[in-house]
Amino acid sequence: MSFVNFKKREVQFKIVYYGPGLCGKTTNLQVIHRLINPEARGDLTSIATAGERTLFFDFMPLVAQAIEGYQTRFQLYTVPGQVMYNLTRRLVLRGVDGVVFVADSQWSKMQENVESFANLEENLQLQGETLQTLPHVLQYNKRDLPDVAPVHYMEFMLNHGAVRQSSFPAVATTGEGVFEALNMVARQVLHKFMIVHSRKEEGVRELALV
Amino acid sequence: MAQVLQEKDSVRLRKVLLQLLARSESDDCLLCDSGGHMLALEGASRHDPFLISALGAGVFGASRELARMLGENEFSAVLHQGERKSIFLRAVDADTLLVMIFSQSANVGLVKLYSTPAVEDLRQILADIKQGPPVGDTEDSRPFVLSTETQLFSLRKE
Ligand SMILES: Nc1nc2c(ncn2[C@@H]2O[C@H](COP(=O)(O)OP(=O)(O)OP(=O)(O)O)[C@@H](O)[C@H]2O)c(=O)[nH]1
Ligand SMILES: [Mg+2]
Repeated sequence: MSFVNFKKREVQFKIVYYGPGLCGKTTNLQVIHRLINPEARGDLTSIATAGERTLFFDFMPLVAQAIEGYQTRFQLYTVPGQVMYNLTRRLVLRGVDGVVFVADSQWSKMQENVESFANLEENLQLQGETLQTLPHVLQYNKRDLPDVAPVHYMEFMLNHGAVRQSSFPAVATTGEGVFEALNMVARQVLHKFMIVHSRKEEGVRELALV
Repeated sequence: MAQVLQEKDSVRLRKVLLQLLARSESDDCLLCDSGGHMLALEGASRHDPFLISALGAGVFGASRELARMLGENEFSAVLHQGERKSIFLRAVDADTLLVMIFSQSANVGLVKLYSTPAVEDLRQILADIKQGPPVGDTEDSRPFVLSTETQLFSLRKE
């Protein structure tokens, strides 16, 4: 859930990168850290195994001029993709405002993508959220590799709901498709925030649930 | 999906945290929620409070799961002791966490002792906030205006 501090004139949002093991979630944060205007970001902190697999999460704060008169902070997190760390994924998802689902485009990973997406929906439900209302975008990563499924096939597998979500082919190692996905999810998160804060009635009900 | 801290809420939280800071002789007192958002901070050290919030929420969430595994309701507090600096995490309510960072010169016993009344006060304030006036109904509620910038995040200029 977003967090507004009127005294400090600050709004905080939480964006989570989700997806199967090794799909490139950590790489997304690393390339953002490397390529973004340095004033807009804080340090990238990773809690990982010696083998560089995410153990708990990666964390990087970004600051944007998104809401007039307020410092708008987007806190970026990744989850550990390995199946066994599901409890950890639930912890990281707490209070999420937006999700970038990173899928691995390789044919051999399609099953894992589908399972991870279902796992996301399931974990969201445990905290009373659903992808129907939670801002999210899809990123089809590793487009540079030889054995990748065509984009339309990935859409068919992962993006077949009543409302088509924005999706981005990507090569996270170079940054291709990375900022596009980030900007889109951030914009969706902001729009949802504006809606909640402009319709008083809704705002009241939402607050009561906090 | 929005949690809001009005100016007067911040003032009340600040008062409690400042008093706790002074009594316990700790370096920092910080309040964060279970999602890792930073609600309030008092103290003088230069640690990144947003990172402390993210990590503190993670550590505490993990310890809660451990407690559940052992059939405990929860561990209401977690202490990490270092040679020079220590950190004490304590649940305020189901969704909020108090984090205290202190040096060797402070006394763990005092930190724990004074955290108890502070947590009571904080819990009361947080309960009041949840009961409080709805979004858009207070003196602070000038409407939010989105900036016209479409590219929120852009590449560094070489
Ligand atoms: N060829 C290619 N390799 C990539 C791409 N994105 C990530 N990788 C590589 O894939 C491997 C795994 O990337 P990570 O970012 O660590 O994956 P992750 O999703 O964080 O994995 P977990 O932390 O285990 O969930 C690394 O060796 C990356 O360099 C890409 O677009 N193309
Ligand atoms: Mg990772």
